[in-house]
Amino acid sequence: MKIEVIDYKGKKVMEVSGEIDMHASPSLRKELMSLVSKKTTPLLVDLKGVSYIDSSGIATFVEGLKGMMAFGGKLKLASIPAGVMEIFNFSKLDKVFEIYGDLDDAVNS
Amino acid sequence: MPGESKITVPEDYLRNLEKKVEDLKALREVSVLISSTLDFNDLMTLVMEKAKKVMSAEACSILLYNKNTKKLEFEVALCQEEATSDVLKEKITLELGQGIAGWVAENLKPLVINDAGADSRFYRDADKMTGFKTKSLIAVPLVGRSGLVGVAEIINPESKDFFDAYDSEIFQTLCRQVAIAIENACFYKESLEKERLRQELEIASSLQKSFLPDSPVFTRGNLTVSAVNIPAAKVGGDLYDFIEPAEGKAGVLIGDVSGKGVSGAIYMAKIISDFRYIANKADSPEAALKLLNDQLSRAPRGMFLTAVYLIADIHSGELQVSVAGHPPLLLVTEDEVKVLDIPSGPPLGIVPAEYPSSVFQMKKGDRLLLLTDGTFEAKSKKGERIGFERFVLFINKHRGDGQLVQTIVEYVQGFSKGAEMADDLTMVELKWMSGS
Repeated sequence: MKIEVIDYKGKKVMEVSGEIDMHASPSLRKELMSLVSKKTTPLLVDLKGVSYIDSSGIATFVEGLKGMMAFGGKLKLASIPAGVMEIFNFSKLDKVFEIYGDLDDAVNS
Repeated sequence: MPGESKITVPEDYLRNLEKKVEDLKALREVSVLISSTLDFNDLMTLVMEKAKKVMSAEACSILLYNKNTKKLEFEVALCQEEATSDVLKEKITLELGQGIAGWVAENLKPLVINDAGADSRFYRDADKMTGFKTKSLIAVPLVGRSGLVGVAEIINPESKDFFDAYDSEIFQTLCRQVAIAIENACFYKESLEKERLRQELEIASSLQKSFLPDSPVFTRGNLTVSAVNIPAAKVGGDLYDFIEPAEGKAGVLIGDVSGKGVSGAIYMAKIISDFRYIANKADSPEAALKLLNDQLSRAPRGMFLTAVYLIADIHSGELQVSVAGHPPLLLVTEDEVKVLDIPSGPPLGIVPAEYPSSVFQMKKGDRLLLLTDGTFEAKSKKGERIGFERFVLFINKHRGDGQLVQTIVEYVQGFSKGAEMADDLTMVELKWMSGS
């Protein structure tokens, strides 16, 4: 798994790629929660390059979301590949997260 | 007597020889002693006492190399004043290259110093903090099979001004034994720790099992419920439960906790006890999951639970079902396998939500399968997953099988043979055997 934090059209974007499993989740958590604790909002997460996510990865985003909600911040997920989206749909996590087709949609939302 | 010759040996030479024999004896005794103890603390004290005695020194110390911090830390220091040892142990750590011990550790070479005060490498703060005056010393690297273990120092000879080459030789011989003994004691300490953790997990595993129903089979009227739960590790994150929330009703829960290992197991135990308390008060799955969702919303680290809770009328076969982000239920009839499309709320413990109940009527011979994703997401040795579609096709092919759950378990285990089991495997089957 690789993480990069960039600025895109004036917004902070976390680009994540590879497999987000129980081995990768701790470093994702460190990066995500550090941005959340700095009250970086809205925080956009670009998942274009993610090939797999397990429940530990989802729990990490849930923790980020809860952290954001605590101060009225926004966590937006964008460009989720079809295979990963299936996991989100299956678990009805599409009812929990703000999900956008691509990064520009998320920026303009 | 004639022919008898007399050899005269200088007294000095004889005394020297006697001392060498004494030293060798002492070394042998020490070596037997230190190789007979595996307790780390006992070993340290023993080694220091013996080294001080054999070397006739005022003080001696062992600094251990901490591979994580890459620093030398005082493990034991034996001096006349106990307080000196405490100061060293609590306050002083050395970088590689810092002080005489740091130099020895970095260069892996022993040093004999006649006048520490005149040596630029000498770390003066230790003496300043303890009040001890270091004059002459020998410092030797302790090197074991896995590399640098630490540094041993012997300080201030008792009956002369400084140590000589012979003392250094003796101390180095002793230190070779000490390094190996320390290494062995460390391995022993680690293996004891591992064994302790293994036993803790064993206990956690049986504790966790005690939260599940006593029997995996539950029969009320025409309804038989049976469950299979195979955790991937000693403790798991899947759960199921059977309860009787009211007269003539059977409640069945299946769930999957997002965390694994001990944290997942503790969370699972909390969920089961919260669920039993809530479900016996709630009159519908909708109300029960809503209350459970509120209860779990304070879970740490984004942990959540996907679940299905249903209440069956054991006289009519009517089911009320609520789903919280859990994989679909499968209805196995004589003719087909149907994936039940039941409206679902999000997993429990994330956001406030509703979990509307759907009503469903079971017919004679129907079997309803509740499962966790450890079934259809099982991975083969090559990294391929079964996938939900293929999983349903398999069940359809074997739907007439009387031991369907067992057949599925064998299929999943066969598919992932040779691969590490990544997730728990749990299935609950409801069989309705009524006349209608």
